[in-house]
Amino acid sequence: MYKARSISLKNIFLVFLKIGTFAFGGVYSMLIFFEKELVEKCKWVTHEEFIESVALGQMTPGPPIINTGICIGYKLKKIKGALVTTAGQTFTGTVLAVLLAIFYVKTKGNVLIGSIMKGIGAAVVGLLLSIVYKMAKNTIQDYKAAIFALTAFIALGVLKLNPIGLILVSGLAGFIVYKEKKE
Amino acid sequence: MILLKFCLILFVVNSLTIGGGFMMLPVLHKEFVEKYHWITNQEFLDAIAIGQITPGPLTVMNAVIGYKISGLTGAVLAMVSSYLPCIIIVTLACRYYFHYKDSVIVSSSFQGIKPAVIGLLAAVAIPLGSTSIVDLMTFSIAVISFVVIAFSKTDPTFVIIGAGIVGALFL
Repeated sequence: MYKARSISLKNIFLVFLKIGTFAFGGVYSMLIFFEKELVEKCKWVTHEEFIESVALGQMTPGPPIINTGICIGYKLKKIKGALVTTAGQTFTGTVLAVLLAIFYVKTKGNVLIGSIMKGIGAAVVGLLLSIVYKMAKNTIQDYKAAIFALTAFIALGVLKLNPIGLILVSGLAGFIVYKEKKE
Repeated sequence: MILLKFCLILFVVNSLTIGGGFMMLPVLHKEFVEKYHWITNQEFLDAIAIGQITPGPLTVMNAVIGYKISGLTGAVLAMVSSYLPCIIIVTLACRYYFHYKDSVIVSSSFQGIKPAVIGLLAAVAIPLGSTSIVDLMTFSIAVISFVVIAFSKTDPTFVIIGAGIVGALFL
């Protein structure tokens, strides 16, 4: 961390560009890659600071990986660092996604692309359900959590209530239900 | 005006949902597909697929939707409004790390939000499933994808590419 003051924004951008470009294969393998680059190779942050950033990334809204990067960027260069790590980390994905979007809009109506997207659409539904399954296994461990999940499911799936409102209400309910235990 | 609404929705979603990119899907689906009809169910699924096969978090799918709504400007604004709340919240949380970490309000309300968004995500699979699962073939693709991703460590990117190939050949 002492060396951190002499690290240039350009270098931070380049390292995070690399991380963002090769960050395939799920959160866990991404974090290993992160740690190798930042802790072992660059020695910008210590192992403890890295763990702290990962924890913070998971406790804050938004994508945990990006948030971990923002936290490290902030530790290195304050707000400028946070901006640069976000830009570096998201650059490649955004450019590729926009290129695919252009291609997608241009080929609208093409029969072959239509068939491919039909297959992919079905797979995405399977993917969503597997995310639900995995998250549920990790998060829903007592009956209270199960009630939160079930209520939300019915409120959106059957009653068609507004999900932003539901998230706010579940946050409030969580505060009421869980605050005693924490204090 | 549409663009402003679009950015505002993304800003709110990214300020509220915890637990990764998938958790923003219920809100995005409600607002973009059901309420404003900016995109169809199929286009929503396609955006998820593109977000998944490109490196980085699923959030990049917002650039695809932004592009669909108003071209390059839409894509760039989508990314800015998705990541801006993260930058604001995380830098504040980082600065006041110990206050944030030990805050009862933050941890207890997120403890309620976390299981709730899982329920929301399950609910959103219903309209998306009824759009994309139309026959035995698409049903089989969905089931196989679920099993492979849920019970093995296979990268979902490969499953999506595989499903695309199957679609090209048989659908």
